[in-house]
Order: sequence, then structure tokens, then C-alpha cells
Amino acid sequence: MEGLRVNEVTKSFGGLKAVDQVSLTFERDHITGLVGPNGSGKSTLVNLLSGEYRPTAGQIRLGDRNIAGMRPDRVVRLGLARTYQIPKFPSELTIREIIDVPLRYVSRQQFALQGPKDVPSIADFCGLTRSLDTRCGQLSVTDLRRLEIARSMACFPTVLLLDEVMAGLSHEDATEIAALVRRLKGWGITIVIIEHLMRIITDLCDHVVVLNSGKLLAEGHPVEVLTRDSVREAYLGRSFKL
Amino acid sequence: MIANRSIRALPYLLTLCTGTVLLISQDPYWIQLVLGASLLAILALSWDILSRTGQVSLGQAAFFGIGAYASALCGDLGWIVGWLMAAAVCGVTALLLGLLTLRLRQVYFTIATIALSLSFKVLILVFGTFTGGASGIAPPMIGDGNPNVQMCAVLVLVLLSILASDLFLSDRYRPAFFMIRTKPSLAAVSGIPIVRTKVLAFVVSGMLAGLAGAAYAGLYGYIVPDDVFALSWSIMPLAATILGGMDSTIGPFFGAIALKVLEGVARNYVGGVGYQIVYGVVMILCIAVLPKGLAGLLAAVREASSPRHRATGAGVTERVL
Amino acid sequence: MDISGLIQTSMLAVAVAGLYAAVASGLTLEFGVTRIVNFAHGEFVMLGAFITFFLYSDYGFPFVACVAVAGTAMALLSYVVFVTFLARVLKQDEHNQFLATLGLSILIVNLAAVLWTPDARSMHPENLLPALQLGGATLPGNNLLVILISAAMYSALALFMRYTRYGIQMRMASSDIDLATLCGVNVDRVFTLSFVIGGFTAGVAGSLVALILYVHPLVGLDLVIRAFAIVALGGLGSIAGAVIGALVLSISEGFVSTFVPEGGSWGFGVAFVLIVLVLIIRPTGFFGRSIQA
Repeated sequence: MEGLRVNEVTKSFGGLKAVDQVSLTFERDHITGLVGPNGSGKSTLVNLLSGEYRPTAGQIRLGDRNIAGMRPDRVVRLGLARTYQIPKFPSELTIREIIDVPLRYVSRQQFALQGPKDVPSIADFCGLTRSLDTRCGQLSVTDLRRLEIARSMACFPTVLLLDEVMAGLSHEDATEIAALVRRLKGWGITIVIIEHLMRIITDLCDHVVVLNSGKLLAEGHPVEVLTRDSVREAYLGRSFKL
Repeated sequence: MIANRSIRALPYLLTLCTGTVLLISQDPYWIQLVLGASLLAILALSWDILSRTGQVSLGQAAFFGIGAYASALCGDLGWIVGWLMAAAVCGVTALLLGLLTLRLRQVYFTIATIALSLSFKVLILVFGTFTGGASGIAPPMIGDGNPNVQMCAVLVLVLLSILASDLFLSDRYRPAFFMIRTKPSLAAVSGIPIVRTKVLAFVVSGMLAGLAGAAYAGLYGYIVPDDVFALSWSIMPLAATILGGMDSTIGPFFGAIALKVLEGVARNYVGGVGYQIVYGVVMILCIAVLPKGLAGLLAAVREASSPRHRATGAGVTERVL
Repeated sequence: MDISGLIQTSMLAVAVAGLYAAVASGLTLEFGVTRIVNFAHGEFVMLGAFITFFLYSDYGFPFVACVAVAGTAMALLSYVVFVTFLARVLKQDEHNQFLATLGLSILIVNLAAVLWTPDARSMHPENLLPALQLGGATLPGNNLLVILISAAMYSALALFMRYTRYGIQMRMASSDIDLATLCGVNVDRVFTLSFVIGGFTAGVAGSLVALILYVHPLVGLDLVIRAFAIVALGGLGSIAGAVIGALVLSISEGFVSTFVPEGGSWGFGVAFVLIVLVLIIRPTGFFGRSIQA
């Protein structure tokens, strides 16, 4: 079932087409991986979806609405949440205060059918073991990632975009976060993850989309797509082995 | 959190006590001092409210002057109506300017606020027939010159400013303001309406500064454009807040008092307008050495000597301010 | 107005543009490399103007020597200020950085007001170059000199940025600081250098101010606000954009003061209007980065 549909979306910066007529469907209850080399347009696409950029052309359909070009705070209130790869939290704010912000400002508690619904349970679900009154300035990188995921979960989204949440983490931490993401399946959420770790992609994703130079290069089942010649040529390298 | 609450009650208590003491003692020298410090405290608090969203305003002078003139131009209707007009005009001005410039990079907003003071000064001069032009205008005196009424009116305004500052430090606003300052995109994807929130802070900030201007006008009975639109009305609250500590209520409040003291000292050594050097010196020293101001220094001292800290060696987990 | 009047206004505008561009290029360089918005940049220009004024009027230094001294002195002062104060502030957030440069600006302006009084002074320089005659219009020799000096400085800066090792490193830092670090660029040195060069251009610009404008403590603030307007027009971080923006601004100001009644007393009002127009028409400026948050 369709969670989010991208229709012929293009984003130009001056003469450069960062995203070039991309059409995609992200399915509900599925985890879709979004991969591609640096500069392929993945981040731009995520920014288009979350409202940070306005598309030069095309539509983004969330349910029956076209959310293309809508302001980010409006997009999140309609149910599309995203994480930032390097979340910059004000260092004096506490874990509790950060998770509380979407509860107050997005206020989608009524849409939460499953899972944790208040600050302590969300924090717990995301593996944050420290006191909720700990300030962001004292959190480790891994905890900051967990907090960022918690923050996005507090938006009670129907579409969740996870932007390289596992980048730079240790093997253990990355596995833990992957497990967290897997637990979100079956809640009726459309999950999109951007990652460079192919192991994670093949483990977690039901579907994979490969971008290259702003265009859609390939999509399909992870193992099948990642062994395609065109994908190895553009992104993975000939000697890549799954 | 009890220590927390008593610190936050200090500004209210100090204001009320000072008012009571002065009402009894009627000492004109101290009343003057307190009035001066009060106006600065109101301006400092109004500046800090907006600063929490990451916007540096140099517009307090503009609103101060606009408020002074708005109340002066309503002279016949009495000082209370004058104050209401001051708040209304400043609120609308802040709304319009804010909607236009709060979406720009910080420095352009700051420049816009400087332009605001200069533009309104020119307007006053251009419409000299109504406003008295460069030679000034006589606003209605608060309470017809009764010093007790004047002092109470100003102290009520101080309490109002403290309240406003505390309101914007509550759980609903404080995290949102800080997130807007630190990373607006993160704030937006957490549901915070950025421009609307900044405009709200700006409007309240402008209204408080305007009321301070109206109060100033009503205390001395005569105002001239060069005085009420002077850029120093924008710089003093900045220096006071940085000295006392930003992002709090006690910071701007006690910073205003501290700055008044420093100003008095500087005036003794440097004549004319040169004493304003103290503002620049204060700002630079604090930002370089004491980024959280005197309040931050006190908090650090408290932390270092608290038994909890010594036992666990952990950092502060409690909000001290 | 006739053709020669038009040419006159335009030529004067070009001279002023040269001055503005000199101020703006240092500002945009500092921002491009360090991402610090240096509100105090104008005060370095003001100090350069005062140095030139005193050396020329009181000590009879030849003008070119004044330019060299002003530029060097401001480069040195920038170095000291950066190393002792601003480098520390780099670790703090953008909000504090801005407040730091603002505080510096306030300090320097008030210091100047105390030392030299707020009065405006004029150097009353003799014409150092013959006037330029063009189609019935005359460009005074000193204005011509301003154009030549600012053009020379701009070319030197452009060549430096393009061809020298440090210039390339500064452009790398400007474009992607993390990548630059990975490539072995000594970021601290490059940051410091950007301020030293920025200071030098400010000092030279100050000499030009002393040559054709009035010297007073607030002249820096006046100019820096215009510099920001120029940067809005030309785009943050773009030095070429600074030149084009400067031309647009000074020509607009020239025409406003000639054709609009009371236009001369608009002060930086023209600059402000241009900023608003840029916001509406092309928020990304024409070359560099956008002025939108």
C-alpha cells in the first residue's frame, strides 16, 4: 500500500539538476533503502520530502495531499518526520525537553496506534538509558543519534525518513539501532533509510532505490539490485561482493 | 528544584521590596537611581527575550523612541492611554518589520533594526509640525508629576517585563526558542513555526521597549528626538544582558543593576559620552571570558561547591537558572 | 539632465563604488573563510582613515605612504584581535560570534570618539592626479586615484586567491571546511590569514575614505552597512560579486541623491531599500550564498 509517492520531482540549483525527474513510490509497512554515491541527490530528495527545499517541478503525494513546497513544520504535522545526520541540539536542553518539543508542537499523539506515547517510554524505546534530565551537551554521539530518532518518533509520523542514522557508529551501536528500526515495522509507518552500509541495507530493507547524478538508476529487491552491473558500475565498484 | 525557584523569585521580590522601601523613605536620589536602573532592566529583558531566538536586535532605541513619541502625541488623553498607544504602535511596527526581516540572515535583521531607529528619527523631523521636530515635545507626566505614582508605574512595568521573560522561559517556549537559535531546520521539522515564533518574541520585545520609552517620556515631561532615539538605548541593554548572563531573567535584571554601577564609575573617569566605552569593554570581556555572564559565574561556583557534584563528579543535570 | 551631467554622476559613482568594493571584499573574504560575520570590519576602515588623516595632515607623509602604513597597521591589528579574541569565540555559537564582533565594534567606535572627538574632519588633500575629462564631465584627480587604487587592490586580491598556495587554501576552506582539513590545510593559519588580509584591505579602504570623504568615528558603521548591502547583492563569499554589488549600490545612490529631493540625506537608506529588493527578487544574490537564513 502506498505511503508516499514522488511524481516526476526535479530540483535545480541554478544550472545544476540535483534531482532529475525522479518518480518513486514508498510502501507502507516497508523499509525502503535510499542509496547512491555522494552527490547523487539522496540528501536533496530527503530535503524535498521534508519541506526544506521546494521542488522546481513535480509532486510529492502524502495520502491525497501534494506536500511539495510546504513548510517543514506543516509537513511534519501532516505526518512526515525526518532525522538529521548531524543533529545540533542546544547543549543546555535536556533529553526530556527535546522529546517534548514535537509532543507540544506537532501534537500527533492521537495518531499513535502503536508503540510508546510519552517522553519516558519513547526515550526508553530508543535505548536512551541516561536520566531524562541529562543535558544534550553531555551526551555521547550514539546517544545523540538515539535522541534524534526519539525526537522524530515523538512526531508520531506515518512516514519516517532516517538520514544516515548509523554513520560512524561502532558495529554494536549500529546493530542496536538497526534493531530499533526493525521494531518499527508493522506499525503502519512508511520507513525510508539512507545508508552507505550495504550490510544494513540488505538486512533491513524490503526494497532499495538507487540514485545516481540526480536520476533514478535502479530499484527493487536489495540483493538483486545491489548485484546489478549498472549499480556496481556507478556506485559499489566492480570488486564489491555482498 | 527548590533553590531554582527561590532564585527565580528574586527579581520579583527585589522589585517589590525596593518599591516599598522607597515609598517609605521618599529619598529622591535613590528614586532617581532606581528609575534609571528600572528602565534599563525593562530594556534588557526585552532584548533578551528576542535574543533567545538567535536574533540580535539593535532596535530597542527605535521602540523606545516610538513609544515615547506615541505617548507624547496622545498628550490630551492622559498618560495611561499614552502607554497603551505606545504598546500598540510598537507592537504593530515590530509585527510588520519582523514579518519582513526575520526570515533573513541574522546580520540583516540587525541592520534593519538600526535602520528603524534612524528612519523614525527622520520621520519625526519631517513631520515637525505635529511632533515638535528637533526641538521636542512635552508628553503627559505620569500621575501629574507625583513621584510615588511615577515610581509605582515604572516598577509595575518592571514586574510585567519579568513576567514576560519568565513566560518565554517556560517549558513551551524555552526549548523552542533555543532550537530556533541553534538549528532552525531541526526546529522546523519538530513542528515549530519559525517565523511566527520569532515575530511573537519580537512583538513582545518591541512593546516592552516602547513602554519603557513611554515611561521615560512621562518621567521627565520633555523629549527630543536625539535623546530618545539615541543608539545607546540599544547598546546598553545588550551590554547589561551579556554582563548579567543571557537566556535568563535574573541575568538581564541583575546585569542592568551591575551595568548602572559600572556606568557610574566610568562616568567619573571619562567625561562626556566617552564613558560608553564601558559597554564595549563589558561585552568583549564577558563574551571572551564569561560567556554566560555573572549569572553563569555564580552558577558555576554553586555547582563546584555543591556536595552532589563532589560526590559523583558529574556535570550539572539540574537547570540552575 | 544632460549627457555630461549623467557622465559626471556615473564617474563619481564608479569612484565611490571602488571604495565600497574595497570595504566589502575584505568583509566577504572573512566571512567566506571563517563564517564569522565581522560587524567590526567597518571600524578597521575607520581607524585606517584616522591613521591616514593624521599622517598626512600632521606629519606630512605622502599619500601613498599613508596607504601603505594604514594597510599594514590594520593588518597587524586584525591579527592581534583575531588571535587574542576572535579565535576564542570561534568555538562558541554563531549568536555569540556576532555579539563578539558587535561588542568589538562598539568598543572601537567609542574609543575613537573619546580619543579624537566625534567631529568630522576633512583632510583637504591636494589633487594627487590630474582630473579626467570625459565628454564634458570632469572626474577630480583624487576620485580617479581611488578607482586606480581599489582596482589594483582588487586585482591583487583576485590573483592571490587564484594562484598562490594560501589563496587556494582559503578558497577550499571557504567552500568546504571539513574537506579542506582532510586535505591538510592548516585551518587556523588560513583563518588568521583571512583576517589579516581583510584588515589590510580595510586599512587601504580607510585611506581612500580619508581622501574623498569625511573622517569621523561613525564612518565605519556607515560603510559596513553598505558593505552588507553589497554582499546581499553580490552574494556572500563572492569577491567578484562584491565589485558588481558596489557598482549597483553607488550608482543607485548617485541617482537618488541627484534626482530625488532630499536624496542626499537618505544616508544608507538606499542600501536598505536594495536589501529589501534583493530579498524579494533574488534572495540568493547574484553570485555567492543567499542572505536568507
